[in-house]
Amino acid sequence: MNIWVQQIIQVLISGIVTASVYAIMGIGLSIIYGISRVFNFAYGSFFTWGAYLAWVLFNTFSWMTYPIVFLIVLPVMFALGMLTERVVVRSLRWRANWQVTTMMVTLGLAFLLDNLALIVFGGFAKPLPPMFRGGLNPFGFTLSIQDLLMVLIAAAVMIVFGLFLSRSFVGMSMQAISQDMTGAEIVGIPIKKVFSYTFGLSTALVGMGGILLAPRYYISPHGGWEPFFRVFVIVAFGGLGSIKGTLYAALILAIFEAFISWSLGATWVLPFWFMVFLGVLAFRPSGLMGTWG
Amino acid sequence: MQLRKELVTFIGVFVLLALLPLFIHQNTYMVGLLITCLIWGTMAAVWNFTMGYAGIFTFGQFGFFAVGAYISGMLAKHLGVSAWISMPAGGCGACLVGLLIGIPCMRLKGSYIALITWALHLVLGPMIKVAEPLGTGGSTGLMSIPSIQIGGFVFSRTGLLPWYYTGLMISFLILLVVYRIIFSPVGLGFVGLRDSEDFARTLGINEYKYKLLVFGISAFLTGLIGAFYVHYAGAISPRILGLDIFLLVMLMLIVGGIGVFPGAFIGGFIILILNEILRPLGPYRFLIFGAVVIVAIKAMPEGLLGRLNRLLETKRTDSKASSQALP
Repeated sequence: MNIWVQQIIQVLISGIVTASVYAIMGIGLSIIYGISRVFNFAYGSFFTWGAYLAWVLFNTFSWMTYPIVFLIVLPVMFALGMLTERVVVRSLRWRANWQVTTMMVTLGLAFLLDNLALIVFGGFAKPLPPMFRGGLNPFGFTLSIQDLLMVLIAAAVMIVFGLFLSRSFVGMSMQAISQDMTGAEIVGIPIKKVFSYTFGLSTALVGMGGILLAPRYYISPHGGWEPFFRVFVIVAFGGLGSIKGTLYAALILAIFEAFISWSLGATWVLPFWFMVFLGVLAFRPSGLMGTWG
Repeated sequence: MQLRKELVTFIGVFVLLALLPLFIHQNTYMVGLLITCLIWGTMAAVWNFTMGYAGIFTFGQFGFFAVGAYISGMLAKHLGVSAWISMPAGGCGACLVGLLIGIPCMRLKGSYIALITWALHLVLGPMIKVAEPLGTGGSTGLMSIPSIQIGGFVFSRTGLLPWYYTGLMISFLILLVVYRIIFSPVGLGFVGLRDSEDFARTLGINEYKYKLLVFGISAFLTGLIGAFYVHYAGAISPRILGLDIFLLVMLMLIVGGIGVFPGAFIGGFIILILNEILRPLGPYRFLIFGAVVIVAIKAMPEGLLGRLNRLLETKRTDSKASSQALP
């Protein structure tokens, strides 16, 4: 096979793999903003903390494996998210300027979490062990099993989440709140509780993203900001509130990102995201298929 | 003519600052600290003007600061332009960037503006590194930037008093501009928009135009401070976009009170002096500051000085009310 074609396929695969993780994190950001109407600036810090918690588990227990890590870390992240909503955000809601104050308070939380990570784990980047060694060689190009697993896990999460939204009581309450908060409150949906769950769920999703991406990229105390920014661009591009839109946006942008980093170099990746962001906002602020605008 | 309380505080603070070196001029450390306070306090005041008065939730002030600093530094270093020309040029460059960002985003909701401006902050570091061929100095930064000079007198790095008074003058002019706008019809329009958006709109206040105007002005002023900073410090690197200094300036804003006029400027002095006192704590300092942000916003969303202000006002109205009740 032609070496160029082979390389392009390799880049494409790498794009799809990152896209699947971005999509999970995008859903998390989309629900937190769409349902609880709070912009959570600590989202990137939760990304790092999810990965750090996994790192702690791997370094304390030599027998640790990824399924157990997920089983322990995800509930912890869920609880952390709920705690954040209860302790940090709730009392500010509906008060004067609450959209600014919640942004600033979560920014403060982000600084707190980042600096805590810096003190506890130090400034050096930390790796997570690979999820799975080895790879497949279909048609002459390599496909590592780890990448395959990442895509499969992400797909499973998205399917389960879709079912949760359309079948479960909490999921349906979330949809109702995102469509009409006052109406949802009138018909007796416990919106405060749902806000808590939303925070928890979103934090668990981003923590999962952190764990999935950590074997490919390293974990560092301030390392959550860039993924956070990318995910926000994805959500804005796909349209807030549309899971399908988020999915498409993640695919398109992550593949573009992979090609840019392959052809122009990694320094151009962030400027690229920024240009996309400005373009989206200038020409179609509601995104590809946004419902909340 | 009745003097506004804000104007009295503003002038008073600057008179105090102008006299302060009489007592501490031998102490280079103190003068240096005061210059730093001036720079960041003014920056916080401009941020407060944009966020607290105009209601634009910008997190991109450091971006404008860096743009102004880099343009001025590069003009002075590579082209030998005098600092008196390169500093306003830096401000204009920052203003241009501000307008480029402002035009698409001023129509959007607050949280989008916050994100776009924050994105500018995040993206500028990599952009500066990419633009190394243009003379930005890449990740090591721009070194040995020429100092300011008046006539034949070159400001030295050891005698800090000329720096102090130049900084004081620039800072005074910037705050004067801010003050003039806040208490002009435009500023009142903003207070209207902030407090009751729909009503202000029905009165015919064009939100978009005013917001863009204020955003441009605030970018210009912030760029100007950045330009002064770069000549004073003599060097700049993408580290200026780090999160620690951002946290400090945000704290100034919170302590000073969002939407309180000279508050953030005074907050700058409080926070930076506190920062010096807490320096022995090392990295724990920023942990504490992060916690302070959360606690402060939760306990008093209007800021420390705003709270004090309100307490004073209620006391005054109380005494007025009681004096009216007892003729």
